[in-house]
Amino acid sequence: MVGAIIIGDQTGAMEDKHSPSRFCSYQAPWASMELLGKSPIARLAEDLKQDCDVVSLISNDRDSQHGNATHQGSIADLAADRFEDYKREGLGTVLIVQCGSYVELDVAEMLNFHEVRGVGVTRAFSEHAPLDIWMVDLSGLPDHVPPLSTLLRTTPAMYHSQGYVNHLRTAREFRRLVLDSFHSRCRLRPQGSEIKPGIWSCEGAQIERSARVVAPAFIGRAVYISAECLITRGSNVESNSRVDFGTAVEDSTILPNSYVGIGLDLSHSIVDGRNLLNLRHNVNLEITDPVVMRQNTVGGVHRQSWASIEAGSMALSSAE
Amino acid sequence: MLTSGPVVVMQVPEVLNVKEVRNFMDELGPLLESNRPRIVLDCSQVRSMESAGVEMLLRCLEEVLKRDGDLKLASLSPEAEVILELMRVARVFETFHTCEDAVRSFNAIPAEAVPQNTPWYSDVFSELGVVKQAS
Repeated sequence: MVGAIIIGDQTGAMEDKHSPSRFCSYQAPWASMELLGKSPIARLAEDLKQDCDVVSLISNDRDSQHGNATHQGSIADLAADRFEDYKREGLGTVLIVQCGSYVELDVAEMLNFHEVRGVGVTRAFSEHAPLDIWMVDLSGLPDHVPPLSTLLRTTPAMYHSQGYVNHLRTAREFRRLVLDSFHSRCRLRPQGSEIKPGIWSCEGAQIERSARVVAPAFIGRAVYISAECLITRGSNVESNSRVDFGTAVEDSTILPNSYVGIGLDLSHSIVDGRNLLNLRHNVNLEITDPVVMRQNTVGGVHRQSWASIEAGSMALSSAE
Repeated sequence: MLTSGPVVVMQVPEVLNVKEVRNFMDELGPLLESNRPRIVLDCSQVRSMESAGVEMLLRCLEEVLKRDGDLKLASLSPEAEVILELMRVARVFETFHTCEDAVRSFNAIPAEAVPQNTPWYSDVFSELGVVKQAS
């Protein structure tokens, strides 16, 4: 039996000197931001559910409303607790993923490699760098399990993953993942249905007749695209957002619950409510004028919380 | 007549919201009403600009053009550049990397002040005119 622990560590609790901060992103970890209808973390959790018998999410997410969210202690403690639980439950191997990157991992292949090598710990590597993914053999551990961080620093077997990797360390990498998905350079597929070749639209999305959407593009759940708008060149408008009359959105991402005003020219940017990150000029602006940009007050969640990622019987713990 | 006052360079405040626009216009207003106003706005300090700020820039441009003058933007901060692009007005203004460049651009000799060379055929036409009158 294989178990998995996904750690959404924003505090660096698992950090070591060889693996610098993975959460140097724009406001929140990029992996937790909605991207083409669903956050990379949620996609990872879903993927792992197919290969693993039990999947646990551990985070310090403040948004989490789950029952376990009141658990006191650090992420590292929670991870260690869950680790011991798995050992008690008789799981043979545990996959530990410290979330930050988007990785298309072949779990079965890594497990096979891990078993053949017969080493206690296997770490996944991409072409050039170690990934925050470990496979740990529980049966070989003593009754008193050593601290997880110590365990993960032991010399591991090196498993080279051939799958797609995006480290999601920067806004540019976030945008690259959007474009890679549009151009089928990775397995990540936009949510919703493909209403025209290269144009995806989710439930409740409204696009006015005089608005033009040019492929590839993504229109998320309950998004409203007003008349005379243009959405083009790999742009994605995420759930509950609104693009007002005559605005052009080019090579940009509009994150959930954002309002983009009338007659604007938004290009090479990421918008999150009042925040505008322009990738061409490398400028991060807070737009104070609500006529131009603001948080869209119409329902929905600002970003995908861990509670919303939790699906089915998946356990969720939070240090907050 | 091609006379005009000196080029005036003004620093645009860091934040261009409704309040700051009012203060800025108190200073800039009298200049706009002069004959052929020639104004350079130094935008190097701009960190944030509301739609009121963009409207002010457009209004100023309109005023100076009415009086046969010009308004140019210089040293645009990346923030100012992003906002002007976002609001689709970046192309309306003539922009320069430095204030010196912007000032120099005003001092370039205007086309109408350059003496035009008389074309070679003008003499021929005048001679033809004389012949025509004589006949």
